[in-house]
Amino acid sequence: MVAGLYAAMSYGLALIYGVLKIINLANAGFLMLGAYVTWWLFTSFGIHPLLAPLAIVPAFFLFGWGLERTLVRRVLGAEPIISLLLLFGVWLVLQNLAYVIWTGDTRSIEMPFVEATVNVAGMPLAVPRLFVFAMGVLALVALQLFLTRTYLGRAIRATAQDRDAARLVGIDVDRVMGIAFGIGIALAGFGGSLLSLLFSFTPDFGRTLSLKSFCIVVLGGLDSIVGVAFGAIALSLAEAFGVRYMPASLQNLISFVVLVVVLIALPKGIAGTLRALRRG
Amino acid sequence: MDRRAVALVAVALAAAVAVPFVAGQSEYVLDVLFLIFLYGAMATAWNLLGGFAGQVSFGHAAFLGIGAYTTAILTQIGVSLWLAVPAASLLAGLYSLVIGIPAFRLRGPYFSIATIGIGEATRLVALNWTSLTGGASGLTLSAAPPLTLQYFAALALCALTVALAAWIKRSRFGFALAAVRQDPDAAETLGVATTLVKTQALFLSACIIGVAGSVYALHYLFISPDSVFGFSTSIGLVIMPIVGGLGTVTGPLIGAVVYTFIREQLAATLANADLLAFGLLLIAIVVFEPRGILGIVDRVRRAARAKAAPAVQR
Repeated sequence: MVAGLYAAMSYGLALIYGVLKIINLANAGFLMLGAYVTWWLFTSFGIHPLLAPLAIVPAFFLFGWGLERTLVRRVLGAEPIISLLLLFGVWLVLQNLAYVIWTGDTRSIEMPFVEATVNVAGMPLAVPRLFVFAMGVLALVALQLFLTRTYLGRAIRATAQDRDAARLVGIDVDRVMGIAFGIGIALAGFGGSLLSLLFSFTPDFGRTLSLKSFCIVVLGGLDSIVGVAFGAIALSLAEAFGVRYMPASLQNLISFVVLVVVLIALPKGIAGTLRALRRG
Repeated sequence: MDRRAVALVAVALAAAVAVPFVAGQSEYVLDVLFLIFLYGAMATAWNLLGGFAGQVSFGHAAFLGIGAYTTAILTQIGVSLWLAVPAASLLAGLYSLVIGIPAFRLRGPYFSIATIGIGEATRLVALNWTSLTGGASGLTLSAAPPLTLQYFAALALCALTVALAAWIKRSRFGFALAAVRQDPDAAETLGVATTLVKTQALFLSACIIGVAGSVYALHYLFISPDSVFGFSTSIGLVIMPIVGGLGTVTGPLIGAVVYTFIREQLAATLANADLLAFGLLLIAIVVFEPRGILGIVDRVRRAARAKAAPAVQR
């Protein structure tokens, strides 16, 4: 069930990598921000956490689009490490703004809905987990439809495949990249919002999660949305089984171990990744 | 090095050595300078890999932690410092080889992200291996050497590291690292064993930071996984060289001065405001002047020269 959440939080990373060929290290910051905004809407205005994405997705889209316009655009031509450092700076700012605004206390959303369970074939299942899974799948379907059925979606895919060729056939590549970055950030906010239903959080919690996202994206193939969904399932299964054999406090190690194993066992897959990186 | 630079270095060193005798009992001055030298040494060591070879690591706190914990544990069981400090350095170096082998299968940004994972994994292990590390409650060391001695240790470490960096930059090894940074494929074609030189740079940098870990532990006398293995330590090591000037010899030292002062000023006023400031600083530097403070100095100098030149012609 956690797979839905993992997938939702990794789509944005894959989309931004696919189109802009940069790794969004600030993804963790936007996840965290999504969780905090959901919590804030709930505690201050009593808005149901499941409705929060309606506000978060457009707001985060605008934020991401603006960020691309003002900062990210300037470093796109530079070495990959420069954009990584820029987004790392954005992450630091977001994380520590959150510390200043919301302090480092652990927050969680407390309401009957979050604790509710239903029995499915004799197994008690937590209601929010079902919803999170459903919304993760929903996001996958919506994203896939958007990318294959609309003009803008096709333009995004064309830009991801070959930026120059896309420009040649008359796609406004600059505009597409801004929009893709915005969507990526919106997806991170969406993921964060879902996450607030399942876990408690602090401004710092994004780090291990962003590691998981990276692991998922590497597992699933760097610019395939469906691949990301499979990667998410694989990692959440690995974690669920891993917990049986090792203490829960070491659970976060699993994603790292999986990452290393994939890198050593599948050098071919990584070689493809590296080639894509060199081209970008 | 030209004669002016030699003179400048000699004067700076003499001044640094004289400080404890002049400042005397002012612990604050010594303390701040101690931190600058300690951070300067670590930033310079990080820069060997991150700046010279272009492999940005977000996990260097692991080496500081291993150095600090090795020193703490060895001195607790009565091992002399003359043995404990080299052991700390060596262990950090060995650990860097263990993680370097899988991590260097990755390039550029992928390596960087893997190092976040390595740093985090190391911290988690230190936190959970309670029988060895004492877990979250940390370890306490019994006796500290006098502050003046600590000061000289940090100064010596810093001076040696900067000298090493200056030497490496002009050596064959340094050129190989620069080739790896500029274009790994071309470097490989030209006969540079890219993985080997990257691993060597990582090893050197880890050994130096291991010693810094010893000095750190002996200064604070208390270490915990969250302090020495903490992510903010790794962040600091990334920020200092970038602020000063990535891949230069003196840049990390300048960065260490800026870093120490910002931390001293802001950490007291607002929790985490220092990291907020560093984040903004990082964004500003990357967008406007990726060469850091030395890049700004260079620009100002050129502008001054451009202004002066026409005057001479007339």
